[in-house]
Amino acid sequence: MQVGLKVWRFNSRTGERELQEYEIAAPEEATLLDCLDIVKDQHDGTLAYRKSCRMMICGSCGMRMDGAAVLACKTRMYDIAQAGHVPVISAMGNLPIVKDLVVDMEPFWEKFRSVDPFLQPGYEEPPDGKEYRIDQPRMNVIHKEALCINCGCCVSECNSMEADPNFLGPQALAKAMRFVGDPRDGNKIARLEKLNGEHGIWECTRCYMCTERCPKGVDPRDAIAKLGAESMYEGIDRDMGAKHANWFVVSAKTTGWLRETELVPKTQGIISAIKQTRFALDLARKGKVPPPFPPHVAKNVKESRRLYELTTQQGPKGYMGIVQGEHALSRLAHGHTGEETLAEIYERPGAFKRPFIAGEELEAPVFLEKPPER
Amino acid sequence: MKRVAYYKGCLASLSAKELDSATQALAPKVGLELVELESVTCCGAGDIHEAEPDYYLHLNARILAYAAAENVDILLTVCNVCTLNLRQANFMLTGDADLRARVNENLVSVGVPAYEKDVDVRHLLWEIAEGEGYELLKQSAHRGLKGIKIAPFYGCQILRPSKIQGFEDPDRPWSLERIIEACGGEAIDYPAKIKCCGFPIIQAREETALGELIQPIEQAYEAGADAIVTPCPLCHLSLDAWQSKLKKATGRDFNMPILHLSQLVGVAAGLEESELKFKRHVVSVDPVIEKLQI
Repeated sequence: MQVGLKVWRFNSRTGERELQEYEIAAPEEATLLDCLDIVKDQHDGTLAYRKSCRMMICGSCGMRMDGAAVLACKTRMYDIAQAGHVPVISAMGNLPIVKDLVVDMEPFWEKFRSVDPFLQPGYEEPPDGKEYRIDQPRMNVIHKEALCINCGCCVSECNSMEADPNFLGPQALAKAMRFVGDPRDGNKIARLEKLNGEHGIWECTRCYMCTERCPKGVDPRDAIAKLGAESMYEGIDRDMGAKHANWFVVSAKTTGWLRETELVPKTQGIISAIKQTRFALDLARKGKVPPPFPPHVAKNVKESRRLYELTTQQGPKGYMGIVQGEHALSRLAHGHTGEETLAEIYERPGAFKRPFIAGEELEAPVFLEKPPER
Repeated sequence: MKRVAYYKGCLASLSAKELDSATQALAPKVGLELVELESVTCCGAGDIHEAEPDYYLHLNARILAYAAAENVDILLTVCNVCTLNLRQANFMLTGDADLRARVNENLVSVGVPAYEKDVDVRHLLWEIAEGEGYELLKQSAHRGLKGIKIAPFYGCQILRPSKIQGFEDPDRPWSLERIIEACGGEAIDYPAKIKCCGFPIIQAREETALGELIQPIEQAYEAGADAIVTPCPLCHLSLDAWQSKLKKATGRDFNMPILHLSQLVGVAAGLEESELKFKRHVVSVDPVIEKLQI
C-alpha cells in the first residue's frame, strides 16, 4: 500500500523547523514504526526517532500522530492509508525536543526517580521464613500500575503539566501508586506525605488525557484517585485539594447539595477567602454566590446521611474503595457493555475505526505438518 | 415526547440557575418530557469518589434508584461531571451483581428503593446531536444564529474516559459542531476545544488552572469567535467567571461571552430572556444578542 506521512523535522542546534512530506510503499500490515523505518532506510537517512523492541514492550517509540501521543509500533497504518489521510507526525509534548521525533526524557526520569520507584524495606517477615506471599485481590490493587513501560505518552498530553511543568505528572504518580499499594513496601506513609506536596496529586486537573492516551491500560488518573483516597484515609488531608474534596462529603451528608458559597473558605481558609472578597462580590451581583442561609436542602437528605454512616462503618476504605469498581469497569471497552460482538461495535454510528487485523482477507496460513527437511 | 428523568446537579440548582431554566424551556421543543427528581443529592463531582469512594457509589446508586423508580429508561444530565460520575457508578453496579446486591441492601435499609431496573445516563448533548432529538432541534431552531461564529468547547469529562462515555471519538468530536450548524451558526475549529478548563483545581491550584483556562479562550478569540458554547456548567463557571482573574494575571481582556448548550439552542429556538437569563453571566452576552438583532 502507499502511505503518506508529514513529519515535523526539528534541529535543536539551529532551531529550524520544517514539515516534510514522504510518500512510501509499505506492506499492508505495516505499523507507523515500520513506515518510519522504510523512510529512513530508503528515502531519508537523516530522520531521527527512537525505537527498540517493535512490540509495545520497551516504550521507546512514543510520538504524536495528528496531535495525539501513540506508540509508533502499536499504530497500524492500513485504515489511514486506505482513507487517503496523510497524518502529521511530531515529537511528544511537554518534553524538550532534541531532534525530529526524539525528545529529551531527562525531565521525565527525574520525576520518575523522585518517587523512589523501588520497594523499601520495613514489612514484617513471614513467620515461616519463606517468601512473602500476597493474594490476588491484594495484587489487583496495583495490577494496572504495574503495566507501565515508561513511554511518556501520558506525560506528553497532561494538561496540568502544560500549565505547570513542575507537576509530578501522570507517569510518576502512577508509578508511586504501584509502590504505595504494594503490601511489601515499608514506607507508605512517608511516600503519601511526599506525594501530597505542592506539585503532587492535588495538582491533577482530572482531564483524563493520560488515561485516554496510555497504550498499556495503566489508567494514571485512576492511580491518582487511589493515592488521594488512601491519603485521606490515612488522615493526610492538609492540602487544599483534600479539603476541597472533604467539603463535598460534608455538603452531601448535611444538605445533600454542594454548599457552594462555603467552599472557598473551607478549601483555602478564611484569610484567602477575605482577600477574594471583590471577586466574590462581582460574582454575587450575578447571582453566582448563592446565600448559605437558608440552605438549599435536598428532600429526604437524612437518607444520604445514613448512607454516609453505613459506608464509613462497613465499606472498603482508601484505594480499596476505588478498586471495588474495577471488576465491572475493566469489562468496558469504549462503551462496550458485553452484549454486542466486536464487529457490531465497529458498525455503530460514530464508532471507532475498526483496526486492521493482519492476515485478514488474505489467504489462510499454511501450516507445516512436519519440519522442512534440511 | 420522550419521558426522561432529569438530574440537574448542584450548579444548575444554585449558581447556574440559568442552565436549569433554559433546559426546562427547551426540553419540549426537542421532544423531551422532563421528570424532575426531588429526592436526589450531589453526585460527588469526583471529589467524594476520592474522599469516600464507597459513599460516592451509594450516593450515585441512590440517584439512579430514584430515576429508575420513575419508570423511565434515561436519566438526563446537563453537566459533564455529573454524567461521568453517574455513568461510572452505573457501570460499576450493572457490571457486578455482588456489588449491586450489597449497595441495594444498604439503600433499602435507609428507605431508598432498590436500584433494580437499569437506566441509561445520557447528557442532553447526546440526546439532541442525533436521532429524533436532532430532527426536532432542526425544526425548532427557526430563529437561527445567522452570522454568528461559535467556538464549541467540550470540556474533558464528556469525552474521556471514552470507555465510560463512549458517545463520540474523544479526539475528533462532532456533536457540538453539528448542533451549532443545525442552528445556523458557524462552528469555529481550534485545538483546545477538547482540553481542560482548569475548573477541578481552580481553588486548590489557581495558577495552574488559569494556565489551562487561557488556552481555549485565547484560541477561540484569535479564531474570531463571537462566543464559546459548552455542555458543562463547571466549564461555564470557570470560562465565564474566572475571565476577570485571567485579565488580572495576564493583562489580556478577551471579553468572551460563554453560553450554556441549552442557551445556544434556546436562542436559536426563540426562547425569551426570562428563560435564558443571560443577565446572570459575568461576561456580557449583549454583543452576541446585538449581532443577532433580536
